[in-house]
Formats: sequence, C-alpha cells, structure tokens
Amino acid sequence: MQFLGTDKYYLNPELKEIVNISTAMEKPLLVTGEAGTGKTQLAFEIARALEMTLEEARCKSTFKGEELCYVYDTVLRLNDSRFGTEDSGRNVNDIWDYLGFGPIGRAFLAEDRRVLLLDEIDKTDSDTQDNLLDVLEDGSFIIREINHKVKAKYMPIIIITSNAKRELSDPFLRRCYCHHIPFPSMEEMSEIIRLHYPEVPAPLMDSALAIFYHLRQQGFEKPPATAELLDWLGALQLNDAKPPITPDRIPFLGTLLKRTQDLLQHKGVERENV
Amino acid sequence: MFLPFFYQLRDQGIPISLRHVLEFYQSLEKGLAPDLDRLFILMRLIFVKKVEHFDTFEQTFGAYFFGVEGGGIPRFSRQAWEDKAFQNWLEEEIAKGSLSEDDLERLSLPELLQRFWEVAMEQRGKHRGGHTWVGTGGTSAFGHSGADREGIRVHGDSQHGSALKVIETRRYMDYAASATLRAENLRQVLAALKHMAPAGPPTELDVDETIDRSCRNGGEIELVFKRELRDRIQVIVLLDNGGASMRPYLDLVKLVFGLMRDHFRDLDYYYFHNCVYGCVYSDPQRLTPYLIHHLVRRDPETRLIIIGDANMAPTELMLSNGAMDYFSKVRIPGRDWLTQIRNHFSHSVWLNPIPRSRWSRESQTIDRIGEIFPMEDLTLAGIRRGVEWLNSGAPPRKASRQRAVGS
Repeated sequence: MQFLGTDKYYLNPELKEIVNISTAMEKPLLVTGEAGTGKTQLAFEIARALEMTLEEARCKSTFKGEELCYVYDTVLRLNDSRFGTEDSGRNVNDIWDYLGFGPIGRAFLAEDRRVLLLDEIDKTDSDTQDNLLDVLEDGSFIIREINHKVKAKYMPIIIITSNAKRELSDPFLRRCYCHHIPFPSMEEMSEIIRLHYPEVPAPLMDSALAIFYHLRQQGFEKPPATAELLDWLGALQLNDAKPPITPDRIPFLGTLLKRTQDLLQHKGVERENV
Repeated sequence: MFLPFFYQLRDQGIPISLRHVLEFYQSLEKGLAPDLDRLFILMRLIFVKKVEHFDTFEQTFGAYFFGVEGGGIPRFSRQAWEDKAFQNWLEEEIAKGSLSEDDLERLSLPELLQRFWEVAMEQRGKHRGGHTWVGTGGTSAFGHSGADREGIRVHGDSQHGSALKVIETRRYMDYAASATLRAENLRQVLAALKHMAPAGPPTELDVDETIDRSCRNGGEIELVFKRELRDRIQVIVLLDNGGASMRPYLDLVKLVFGLMRDHFRDLDYYYFHNCVYGCVYSDPQRLTPYLIHHLVRRDPETRLIIIGDANMAPTELMLSNGAMDYFSKVRIPGRDWLTQIRNHFSHSVWLNPIPRSRWSRESQTIDRIGEIFPMEDLTLAGIRRGVEWLNSGAPPRKASRQRAVGS
C-alpha cells in the first residue's frame, strides 16, 4: 500500500515518503504550515488514492475530545423511558441504542482501515489535546457510562493539521510525526497550477507567478496563498487577460488580497513607485 | 552505528528520548530506510518535533552521514564562548568594521557563533590546515581554552553593546543551555493555573437533578440544564521593563512572559518601571498610561502576576515624592499603591528574577515588597509555588506584619 499522489494534487516527493512512513509506523502525522499549503487536502487525497473512507473532524474550541469518540444521548433515553420507544426499534434498557459515535469512534469501529482527519487541532484547548493523546496512541477509548473499551480494529491513518496559532504541548508533539510544509517554490507552484489549469499559456503563468511571489514578499497581514492564486488565475483566464501583468495594474486584485488593510497598503506602495 | 549520532543530536539541543530511539529501531526492522534519503526523512520524523530544530537536525545529519566538512555546527557551549579563537574573531570583525555595534546588539549569541563558524569553515576551505584551531572534524568545536575563564571581554570595559554585557553575566549561558527543558517544564507548571467556574449558557444536562425532579414530578420529565464548568482564568501581568537592574534577567523574563502569553487566552499585560505609582503602561515604551484606579476596578478574581526585581532606591518605595519621574505629580508612596493593588487582587504573586538566596543582599526593598505580595523567584520551584499562591488566593504569610508596617 503506497500513497503516490493523485491527479489533482501535487505531491512533494518528500511528503510522499513521510505519509508512507507514518502509515507503516501507525503514527499520527501532524502537518503544520501556513494556510494554502494543502494540509487538509492531503488527508482527502490520501483517502482518495488509497480508496479508503475519510472520517473528518473539524475542531472547535468547545470540543472536549470525548465527543469525537462517542456521544451518549441522555435526553433521548429519558424521553423514551417516559413516552416509550414505539416503533423506533430502540430498547430503553440497552444503552447501546443511545450511543452515537464521532469520527474517532467510527474510524476505530470500522471493519476497514480508514483515514482520520483532525483538522485544526490548535483550535481546541490543551486539555482536549491531552485527552486525545492516549486515544490516538493506543487506538482505544473507554465509554465511561458502561466502562466499555472500544479498541480500533484497524488503526486508522491519522492526519492532524494545525495552523500553529497556539503552540501544541510537547507531549502531544512527542507522540506524533511532525512535518512542516514549506510554502511551495515557484517550480512546485507551476506544477500545482498545471494540475488545475492544464491549458494556461506559459507567458501568462510566468507573469502571474512573478506578481504572486512579489505580493507575498510585501509583508501583508494575510499574504495571498495557493487558493488565492488559483482563484485569480481562473479569473484571469475567464477574462482572457494578456500578459504581462505589472504590479501597479493587477486585475482582480480582490481575489489575491482579502484584507482592506493590505489593499490600502498595496495601493500606497504603488503610489510611491509612481 | 547510529548511537553516536543520537548523542550528537542531543548535544545540539534536540530533545530526543529513549522512546524515540526504540521507535527508530523498530522502523528499521520494518525496512523503512532502504536508502540514505529515506533514512533522513525517517529520522527527522521520529526525532524532530519542532520546526525550530529542523535546521539543526539537517546540519547534524549532513555532518554525520555525508561527512560535510567541519562536523556540523558547533555546540553552543560555554567553552565555545570563552574560546580564544572566537574572541579573536569577534575582535577582528569589529576592528574590520564588518560587525557593527548594532549587529552585536541585534544578533543573538548563537547567531554570532554561527557566523563565526561559517567564516571559519570558509577559511578552512581556502587554506587547508592553516587554521589549526578549527580542530579536525567532530563536534568539539574549538577545543577548551581552559585558562581563560573570565568570559568574553572583546569590547573594552563593557561600555558598549549590551549584548556583550549580557555575555559577561554567566547566568545567561546556563539559561541558553537548558532552555528547551525549562520551557517544557514551565508549560506544565503553568497548566496547573486554572480557575474553573460555571460559564456560558446552561447547555449541559444535569442528569442527577433531572432524574430527581422528574421523580418528584411523578415521572413527568423535567429537564434541568446547568452551565458548563469552564476554565475562566483571567490573568494580568505587570512587567518591570525598565532600569538597568532588570537587564541581566531579560531573557529569563522573556521566556516566562512569552510562555504565559501563549498559555493564557485571557491575558492582559502592562509595564512599569521599578515601582508602581498611579498608573502602569500598556506599551513597552511606557507612553500610554493605564490608571491603577482602573486596574483595581477589574474583576478581583483575576490572577495578578507582577514580574520585577523589586530592586529600587528605598525612597522610591517609601516616600510620597519618591517617583523616579520628576514630573510625576503623584504624591502617594509606591508602597501604598502596591498595597492597594494587593488588597484588590487576592490572587496575586510577585515573581522576582533575582534568585531567592540573594534577595536580602541585593536590596532591602525586596523584603519590603515581599511583605506586601507573596514573592517567589523565577525558578521552576518558585513559579510552582507562585502558581499555588495564585490558585489558593491565600493572604500573604506576613499579613500581620504588613499591617504593622502599613499603620
């Protein structure tokens, strides 16, 4: 079982090795890097390439960790005990009818090996991360209400992403494989563009890339990333834009710079240049 | 064949543990490192957990497995700092003007050393064997100069660059050497600082209460919700950022303060100089005042941490016109301001970067302030006790005596 990338996703050879190593070692892979480097996409592509089901957990700051494993629906059970289950098929005396499983639970219980994505883990607080540690390492969790241990039949391929807004705890890092995806170089970026827009004329692409990397170096609050570049190129193509594009007249600038502050700053720079 | 490499990694400051080593051998058995390239990736995955360490790892790996000349970057050890070769180099660079005083202020010590090493490598490439002091490979960078143990004194009588002044205080080296360990421990200590309180809308089902009420209701279900227990800790940090006396502790304070800022979502910080009079400042330049008057209207449950050396002229603390700023119109002695703050925030602590053993020798004001605030030093144990003070909110130990002084 080897992950070799897919037709829509440019896979850096190094990252490919990394995915394969963490798959073989059954270790969670923590992917960091700035927005638009394809952290989340990686999990989707692994699932697609290896034909596995993806279990996805988008983290929220209110998560406590347990709900990613299972949820016990007390209210439903109370309700059933009072009004009867009728023909719902649930049995009030059987707690299993009132247990629902979250993405981790589903991945552990599945009869096949799955890909488990924990997206933006840094949004959760450090207690939650600590709670998840043992679960992910042992591939098991305990349903507290009945003291039942759920053990993973097949250890899922775990991909964790983080924007590193807040630092993750050292114990957490210790138990993961960590990889920081650097921002793609110009060559890699043109590969990525080729995957998405096979028929962009080379002069337009070169010109666009030059502008793009130029803008990225201006120290904007939110520098344009891959997603913005692809949107922008799409817009340029639709409107049949002709190269060369110069920094003082960038069409559809709004697709590249999203913050007012950045737009103003860019215009300011322009005026100075003129 | 790998064991010496692991020790080199540790020497370079990458915290690897036995667990990782075992994991590595396990992965070898699985045949995950068929070639050097993949060995590189495999090792990096297993041993390096932080981006900051990536570069160091790559250097060390290159030196060990590819025999990149020079044996990688040198250890940032005290020996290296006190080494003649390094000092000579610094002197030369300054004399040549390729290192300005600004550079010295700006560059961190490891960066300086790194530069030196790069130059050394270059020179070694040019005239092979010419510079015997580089040593021949391996990581013992410059040998030990043994006799010269006074620290670096390249720049005359330390009237210039503050970076070099800091070099002279040996304390700095110790922090730099063990920074990784300290940061990690510190984080665990800070994690103990919590204030759990019910918060938010009542969304959590109170199962016990629901069943109880439902039974009383004759089986008619009555759902009772309660508010969740959440960590509602609010922290205010007052930071002494002025005065030469705080200078030697800059890095230590930075480390602690940086970790606090990362750790607590709800953290406000203000600056002051030496002692507090009437206001603290919301910017490091101390231009935007924030009145104590406002400060003591904040939620008294807020945890207050003051970081400062509490070292000042006794007049600053005791006299009503003691404020260092001549234009200050404040006519209340610093001590009274501090007492006022302390009385409002029952969960407060003063963290002093000066080691506890030197407090009474260093300045009499330290003891005086220690009577107002519980005071701890910035060691791991000290901070741990500080966290205990903050959690318990106990009155200062010398409460009775404080009253006596205050009256």
